[in-house]
Amino acid sequence: MASTLLSLFAHHPPSSTHLLPSTILSLSQHAGPFLAHASSHPDTPETWLLYENLLLTCLRSRDDSSARRCLDLLTARFGSHNERVMALRGLYDEATAKSQKDLEGILRRYEEILAEDPTNVPIHKRLISLLTSLHHLPRAISNLTSLLSTNPTDAESWAELSHLYFTQRMYAQSLFCLEEIILIYPQAYNIFARMGEISYLLSSTQPNPSPSPARNPTDILLDALKYYLRSIELCKDYLRGYYGLVVVCRRLLKGKVPDRENVQGLYERGRARLAEIVARAERRDKGWEGYDEAEVEAARRLLDEIEEGEK
Amino acid sequence: MAQPQGQMILRDPALFYWILIPITVVMVLTGILRHYATILLQSTPKKQDLKAIRQQHNLLRGVNLRTNGNHISLDSMVSRKNFLVQQYQSGAYLKNPEAVGQPPVNPMTDPAGMDQMMNMVKGNMAMIVPQTLIMGWINAFFSGFVILKLPFPLTIRFKSMLQSGVNTRDLDVRWVSSLSWYFLNLFGLRPVFTYILGNDNAADQMSQQMQQMNPGSTANMFGPGQDPNKMYLAEAENLEVAAGQHEYVLEGIEDRMRALV
Repeated sequence: MASTLLSLFAHHPPSSTHLLPSTILSLSQHAGPFLAHASSHPDTPETWLLYENLLLTCLRSRDDSSARRCLDLLTARFGSHNERVMALRGLYDEATAKSQKDLEGILRRYEEILAEDPTNVPIHKRLISLLTSLHHLPRAISNLTSLLSTNPTDAESWAELSHLYFTQRMYAQSLFCLEEIILIYPQAYNIFARMGEISYLLSSTQPNPSPSPARNPTDILLDALKYYLRSIELCKDYLRGYYGLVVVCRRLLKGKVPDRENVQGLYERGRARLAEIVARAERRDKGWEGYDEAEVEAARRLLDEIEEGEK
Repeated sequence: MAQPQGQMILRDPALFYWILIPITVVMVLTGILRHYATILLQSTPKKQDLKAIRQQHNLLRGVNLRTNGNHISLDSMVSRKNFLVQQYQSGAYLKNPEAVGQPPVNPMTDPAGMDQMMNMVKGNMAMIVPQTLIMGWINAFFSGFVILKLPFPLTIRFKSMLQSGVNTRDLDVRWVSSLSWYFLNLFGLRPVFTYILGNDNAADQMSQQMQQMNPGSTANMFGPGQDPNKMYLAEAENLEVAAGQHEYVLEGIEDRMRALV
């Protein structure tokens, strides 16, 4: 039982933002039988990780009573002053809060905890995400930067900061944060693809005069191309990477490019490969099931659009 | 046949039941006891304060930039390097900037170091005390017994290992004395403890000695006796060198990928 759940969570980490509702539901339905045998589970790190994951899925599927039980078990094992348990309790309170006022109360509680112990990173992160969801973005960003000034090797915080800057359309700052992640995890192909996406946006929305005259939109687009190619080099079936490659090459070919032939070649090969991935993912070939359905759909639309444009 | 006649010693079978098995059982039980005693004696690691965390992680950031700097463009690398070098040299990340230039504190009097030392002493005590007791117990009750005959021949070198406590010159090496059986147990029970207590148990003294040989690299970088300012200055220099040797990984990726895509 525990081992099947463990493998399920390995494939669908509940902290991931794009899990399908059906997956969440089927995961949380394991909660009842699992919790019924709570006393017979071994006291290993894996078990407690399972409880934590179950807590998250139960909250997402609105099974608050099971979530409460997970939280109680975790509290009984690790004590209510454990940093991680404190953060999970905060998460539970946030999820079950009825009104805006409740949330403000939780926010004040976080601030009190942090005033007492400024090194409590999990609570600091909760505070930041609560500030984000309450739309106090400047406060969230200043909190994140102070967290990062003491903890500059935490990739998760850099990713969050990058996202916050992205929502404010501060693309250059967002790119800077992603580069910091690359410095920590140099093989992160998804981060390279993200850098490509943001560079692409940066090149298309540059109304303000760029800081240095050398960085014209085409140069930034060429950077985006590099990032996408790197993400493909690191992960050879990465759908987002190929999608970005095709989009960037199309844009490049519309304007003046220094090495036109090369870009044309990359464009055609990337397009063929993208078509192959989409076809296989839609046929659900063995070993090709892992793609996000929405992403496959978007890629297919892009391919259709290109084909129509050619006719 | 010129083969020497094997020595025959008549052993009371009771030796087997009353010495061999008790020693083994006692050794296993003390191992388990030591494991739990070590867990109980361990104090929870003291929490680092904000400044100590800042000091440590900001140095790590420099190390990351130096090792993975080739994965970002030269502009980004150099601007980060300039910032970090300036910060490092001005000592902006130091836990207590007043201590710059002063001789490093004596690790014996440093309270942070004391904590670590105390833990080591506790671990050693948990090992030495039971070992001494059992050794004394065996010496008092079982010394001088020959309790076991190995089923294979051995060279004379093993005599001192297998027959401690039995001072006979001509006894065949295959006979094992009780004291030696204790030593064999002491060093050879690791698989048993692994089976009973799991992988990272504290029962086995060999693994503990191994740990003391190389105090793990995972431990705090700023151990007692290290001067953080010097480490920062050294890292600043390393960064300067690394920036000079920058080779952008993404350079020429278009040509590289033409073959692959």
